[in-house]
Amino acid sequence: MATALLNPTEGAVTDKKKRYSAGVLKYRQMGYWDADYVPKDTDTICLFRITPQDGVDPIEAAAAVAGESSTATWTVVWTDRLSACDSYRAKAFRVEPVPNNPGQYFAWVAYDIILFEEGSIANMTASLIGNVFSFKPLRAARLEDIRIPIAYVKTFKGPPTGLIVERERLDKFGRPLLGATTKPKLGLSGRNYGRVIYEGLKGGLDFMKDDENINSQPFMHWRDRYLYVMDAVNKASAATGEVKGSYLNVTAATMEDIYERAEFAHELGSVIVMIDLVVGWSGIQSLSNWCRRHDMILHLHRAGHGTYTRQKNHGVSFRVMAKWLRLAGVDHMHAGTAVGKLEGDPPTVQGYYHCCRDSYTKQDFSRGLYFDQDWCDLKKVMPVASGGIHAGQMHQLLDLFGDDVVLQFGGGTIGHPAGIQAGAVANRVALEAMVKARNEGRDIANEGPDILRRAAQFCTPLRQALDTWGDITFNYTPTDTSDFTATPAVAG
Amino acid sequence: MMTNPTGRLTQGQFSFLPDLTDAEIGLQVEYGLGRGYAWSVEYTDDPHPRNTYWEMFGMPMFDLKDAAGVLLELRSCRQTFPDHYIRLVAFDSTRGIESVAMSFIVQRPRREPGFSLSREEGPGRTLRYTIRGHEGDKPEGERYRE
Amino acid sequence: MRHRVAMASPLYSLPGAPAPETAAPATVPAAAPPRTIGEVLAQSQAGAVIDELDAALVGLAPVKARIRDIAALLVVDRLRLAIGLEAQTPSLHMCFTGNPGTGKTTVAMRIAEILHRLGYVRKGHLVAVTRDDLVGQYIGHTAPKTKEVLKKAMGGVLFIDEAYYLYRPENERDYGQEAIEILLQVMENQRDDLVVILAGYRERMEAFFRSNPGMRSRIAHHIDFPDYEPGDLLRIASLMLEAQHYRLDDGARAAFEEYLARRIRQPHFANARSVRNALDRARLRQASRLFAEPDRAWTAADLTTITAADIRASRVFADPPPAG
Repeated sequence: MATALLNPTEGAVTDKKKRYSAGVLKYRQMGYWDADYVPKDTDTICLFRITPQDGVDPIEAAAAVAGESSTATWTVVWTDRLSACDSYRAKAFRVEPVPNNPGQYFAWVAYDIILFEEGSIANMTASLIGNVFSFKPLRAARLEDIRIPIAYVKTFKGPPTGLIVERERLDKFGRPLLGATTKPKLGLSGRNYGRVIYEGLKGGLDFMKDDENINSQPFMHWRDRYLYVMDAVNKASAATGEVKGSYLNVTAATMEDIYERAEFAHELGSVIVMIDLVVGWSGIQSLSNWCRRHDMILHLHRAGHGTYTRQKNHGVSFRVMAKWLRLAGVDHMHAGTAVGKLEGDPPTVQGYYHCCRDSYTKQDFSRGLYFDQDWCDLKKVMPVASGGIHAGQMHQLLDLFGDDVVLQFGGGTIGHPAGIQAGAVANRVALEAMVKARNEGRDIANEGPDILRRAAQFCTPLRQALDTWGDITFNYTPTDTSDFTATPAVAG
Repeated sequence: MMTNPTGRLTQGQFSFLPDLTDAEIGLQVEYGLGRGYAWSVEYTDDPHPRNTYWEMFGMPMFDLKDAAGVLLELRSCRQTFPDHYIRLVAFDSTRGIESVAMSFIVQRPRREPGFSLSREEGPGRTLRYTIRGHEGDKPEGERYRE
Repeated sequence: MRHRVAMASPLYSLPGAPAPETAAPATVPAAAPPRTIGEVLAQSQAGAVIDELDAALVGLAPVKARIRDIAALLVVDRLRLAIGLEAQTPSLHMCFTGNPGTGKTTVAMRIAEILHRLGYVRKGHLVAVTRDDLVGQYIGHTAPKTKEVLKKAMGGVLFIDEAYYLYRPENERDYGQEAIEILLQVMENQRDDLVVILAGYRERMEAFFRSNPGMRSRIAHHIDFPDYEPGDLLRIASLMLEAQHYRLDDGARAAFEEYLARRIRQPHFANARSVRNALDRARLRQASRLFAEPDRAWTAADLTTITAADIRASRVFADPPPAG
C-alpha cells in the first residue's frame, strides 16, 4: 500500500535547541504529527480528506493541516516557549489513502479541549476551517466528519425546542409532518401570499414556509407578509381544529432587524420562525437563545450550504454542518431528500438524519459516519426533506426517513391540477395511508405504489396527483458518497 | 359542518382516511405494543386544538401483550360516552423520547360543528385571534347532544 | 355499532371538484388453506411442541394423552374450517387439578405455546396469578384489578392458581365474587382473546364448582394431574441435576431412592417441587463438604458429583424408617 512509503516514524524534533532555533521546520518536525498519539476523551477529532500538491508527502500535509488549524505559523517562533505549547498543538495521528481516489488521503487530527471557547461554534469553526482550506501545499481539503467530545457538547444548549417538544406543542404524533414552500418564491404581494398559506394549511398540511430569499423586498414588506400569513394560519386552524404554523423568515441585514422581525412574529402568535444559514453561526446562536425565551420553534434553511458541502474533495461535509447546527441550536434543518431534485445519495443523506435525531450516533462507514458521537441528551433536530418530492414517492420517503421528519412538497402541493387544497389533501392522504400500511406490517418499500393506488380509489385529489407526477424521479449519479472501506490503519 | 376538505376534525394520525374498523384499530395497537408503548383511551367534548388534556378513560395500560385488552377498554368507553370524541394515545417511555408516540381518533360525534375564529383589532394592523368551539359555550356534558 | 354513516369517511370535497366516490373496504390477505393433518402441523409447527412436551416431561401419561386429544380436536377443526365448515371457536378454558409440584404450571406454559402455534391464542404468553392479583381490599377496587390482569393476559393464557380462594362463602360480602363475575363474562364473550386455566387441589376445586356452576359450565377440559411415581421423581431429579451440571453417584442414587420413599409419606410432600428443594439442599451440603478441605485440588468429577453422604445428612433420615 502507498502508505508504506510514508515513513511514519519520522516525527517531532525533541531537542529543544534544534526545535526552537530560528528558521523553517517541517510541520511534522514541529510536533503536529504523532503516530503514537492516543486521543483523549476530551479531544475533538477531525477527519479530513486531503489532496496534497504534487510532491508533498501526505504525512507532512496532514501535519500541516493540524498545524494551520491550531497554533502553527510558517516559521519557528520563540514566543511558543512562553506557553505550554505542546498541548495547544493539534496532532495528526493517522493517515490513509482514500480507496479508489488516487492522490487523496484521509487524515485524522486531534484537538485539545483548551483550543475552543465553550458554547461557540464561531470559535470552533474559526480554528477548524479558518485557514487551512486555502493552504498552498494542499490542492484541496475537506472536513469529512468530526467527533465532538461530550465535555464540549455539554457547553451548548442545543435546539431551543427539540423534535419531541415540537410534536407536543403541535399535538401531532406518529407520522412525518407535512409542509410546503410558498411558490412563486418572489413577486407575490402579502395578500396573495397569505392565500397560498391558507389553502395549503386548510387542505391538510401542518406547515407552510417562506423561502430562503423572501425577506423584505419591494414587492412585499415583511410586516405585511407576517400579518396576512398569520390570518391564514389562524383561519386554517379554526377550519381544521389542528395547530398550524408557517415558518416566518426573519433573516435580515442586522441582528437588530432579525430581532425586530422575530418579536413581531411572536406578537402575532406564530409558533415558528425561520433563519437562513447565511446569517452565520453567531446570528443562529443568538436567535436560538431568543427562541428559547419565547417558546418558538426555530427552522433553519441551509441556504448556501452547497458552497461548503458540494465538492467531494474540498469544503465541509454536511454531516459536520449538521453536528454544528445541532449544537448551535436549531429545531429544524434541511437535510436532503435522497429522492428529490437536490444532491445526495440515500445512505449519505440518512447519515445526516442520524446526526440530527440520534441520542448516540454509531460509527457507520456506509452512511459516512466515521465516528461514534454521544449527544448526551442534547435535544433532537427535526430534519426537513424538501425539493422536488411528491406524493408518489411517499413510500420511499417514509421508508428512508421514518416518522421524525418534515416532508415538504412545494411544487407537489401548489402545482396540483385541482388547486392547492387538493394538492394538500393528496399529500396528507398518501402520508396517512402509508403510515397506516407500514404499521399494519406491509412492506411499503415494495408495495408502496399499490398502497397509493388503493388510496387513490377513494381520494380523487390523490389520483390526480399520481396521474400528474406518479413516475417522476430524479436519478443522477450522486457526487457525495463516503468512499471509506473499513481497512486496518497503516500509518498511525 | 366543518369546511375543510374532510368535513371533520383532522387531528390525529388518520383523520384523512375512512374510519378505521376495530380490526384495523387492533393492528395499529399491535404495532405500538410491539414497540413497547403503553396505550391509553382518552375522550373529550372539547376538541379545541390547544386542549391538550382530554379525559383519561382509566390509566395508561402497561405490560399488555395483545390489542384485545385495549379494544376492551375502547368498547367500554364508547358505551359510556357515545357522543364524545375518543382517541387512542400511545406513550413511549424510552429515554430521550418520553412522550406520546401515536395518537388517532377512534370515535367522533355525529355532528362536528367545528370552531369559530374571532379577531380583536390591536395597534396598527395587528390582530389577536381566538379560536372557540361552536359547542364550547354549552356546559360540560351537554355538548354534541342531538 | 351506532349508525354513523354520515361521518364514516372524509369527504374530500373541494370547490368545483366532482363528488367523491365511496371508500374501498379494507381487505385481509388469506394464506393457502391446509388439506391434511400433516399440513396443519407443519404450517403451525404445533407438532414439534407436542413432541417436546412428550419428551421433556417425565411421567404424566394421562395428562399427555388428554393434551394430544385436545390438540387433535383443534387440528381437525382447522381442517374443517379450511373446507368451509363453519366452526364455532371451541371453548378452551381448562381446569388442572392435582397436588403441588405435579407439573400444572409447566404444562400450562406448553399448552399456551401449542394453542399459539395452532392459532387459538394470538401471542401465547402465560400470565400466572392468584387471588391477591385479582381481588381488591376496598369497594370498587376489584373490578379494575381483575380487568388489568385480564388485559395483560389477552392474547395468551391466564393461569389462576388455587382458584377456589376466589370464593369465600364464609364472608357474604367478599369481593372475590365480583372477580368471578368479570372472569365469567370475559370467558364467555372473548374466547378468541383469552384462555383461562384454573388450577388447584382436586377436592377443593370440586367444592368450588359446586358453588359456582356458571364457572363449571364454561370449563371445557378437566385434566387431573396424578402424583408422580417414585421412579418418575428419580428421573426428574436426574434431569434437574443434569441441567445444572451435577450428577448422583451410585451410592447417592440409592440414598435418594430411600430418601424419596421416606419423604413421600411425610406431610407437605409436593412432588417435583420437593425434589428440587431436596437437591438444592444436597448441593449446599456438597459445597460444605468440599469447602472443609481448602488446600485440596478438586477434579471436575469431584465438583459435579453428589455423594450418598450429601443425601443422607437430610433430617428425613433422622426419623424412623417407613413402616412396611
